[in-house]
Amino acid sequence: MPHITVGPDGPAIDVPPGETIVEGLRRVGWRARYRCRGGGCGICKCPLVDGAVTYPGPVAESALSAAERSAGLCLPCQAVPLGDVVIEQRGRPLRPMLASAPRVAAPIREEK
Amino acid sequence: MSVIRLGYVHVRVTDLARARDHYQNTLGMDAVHEEDGRVYLKSWDEDNHHSVVLEEGGVGLVKFGYKVTGEDSLAALENRVAGFGATAERMSKGDNAGVGDGLRVTLPSEHVLELYSEVEYLGTKVGKINPDPWPRTGLRGIGVPRINHALITTEDPALLERFFAEVLGFRPAERLVSGDEPGDLVGSWMFCGENPHDIAFVNGPNGKLHHFAYQIDDWSALLRAGDVMSMDEVPIDFGPARHGITRGGTIYFFDPSGNRNEVFSGGYRTGADFRPITWTMDQAARGINYTHREIDQDFLQVVT
Repeated sequence: MPHITVGPDGPAIDVPPGETIVEGLRRVGWRARYRCRGGGCGICKCPLVDGAVTYPGPVAESALSAAERSAGLCLPCQAVPLGDVVIEQRGRPLRPMLASAPRVAAPIREEK
Repeated sequence: MSVIRLGYVHVRVTDLARARDHYQNTLGMDAVHEEDGRVYLKSWDEDNHHSVVLEEGGVGLVKFGYKVTGEDSLAALENRVAGFGATAERMSKGDNAGVGDGLRVTLPSEHVLELYSEVEYLGTKVGKINPDPWPRTGLRGIGVPRINHALITTEDPALLERFFAEVLGFRPAERLVSGDEPGDLVGSWMFCGENPHDIAFVNGPNGKLHHFAYQIDDWSALLRAGDVMSMDEVPIDFGPARHGITRGGTIYFFDPSGNRNEVFSGGYRTGADFRPITWTMDQAARGINYTHREIDQDFLQVVT
């Protein structure tokens, strides 16, 4: 299972393969700073200190530009770890929370 | 010429299929027209061709349209815009599916606002003869009846308020101020008919969208909308709560691309003799979320 370490003094957790960083943290009771959870608003953007992530879902260029990706930033609401990762949340402490995970991997419904 | 209402909001979405699912199945709008990379949608209680356009690629506002009465020539309106020092160009019938000739204005806040009086009439789902209060069949999800307003951000709220007042005849219903000087305007909620607001703007980056809103019947419709959002795993920003400003009930939420939507209920009636309400910055949180009296800073900062 990919291991996520949140710096500088945040938790270290394991997440199931395929889960985003935000969702993984939520599942074990931590709320990172995020808003839209759709890769559009960019407020969750933070340094990816170590490791690699992939983005199965859409990410707006205005939320995370190619240059920002190259500069080592990531968008935790959409980023899925490819192995162990370290992200930096200095100045944006996680909040403890009880969150319910999505019950289904929201499929796109038939148009009615 | 007078402005009747917000007619349409045209937004970018990163994934058109997911956006369609949200606007059609969660909100309950109907697709009325499609062209390459764009879907035009209408709510069930709206008469005109469309009220939302989704365009694939990115996020944020492409433009929005306000319907105007047709007695003035576009030339007169164009002169007023030019007299203010803003720019406008003519738009032609067919530039927007179903919409006639009009004027495309670049606001002092860099947003593109289109004014038009002719638009294809499609009619509501309940018709105009002995109608039911809502359609017995065919509603999906929340079943939003109509769009209501948009809130945008601007580097210069005072300038934009003056534009909407002097060029388009809007009046402020509520104003958020940080002091007594004209330049101390932080936000303004302005109306063109008798709504508490048809456009609102707060201080922030030019050209950005904070949210656009759908009007729904009442508090219980709002709570039911929240149920549908939970069923459909829609990210909530805040609510259900009451606004101090406009007194409306609200839930803010996000479409799958990260554009903020709102369902809005209630509010009060304004009119040509309405005297604006003032909110001071120390009570801004109560103004926005009267129930909780605190708002996350990200609510103010997140725009698309």
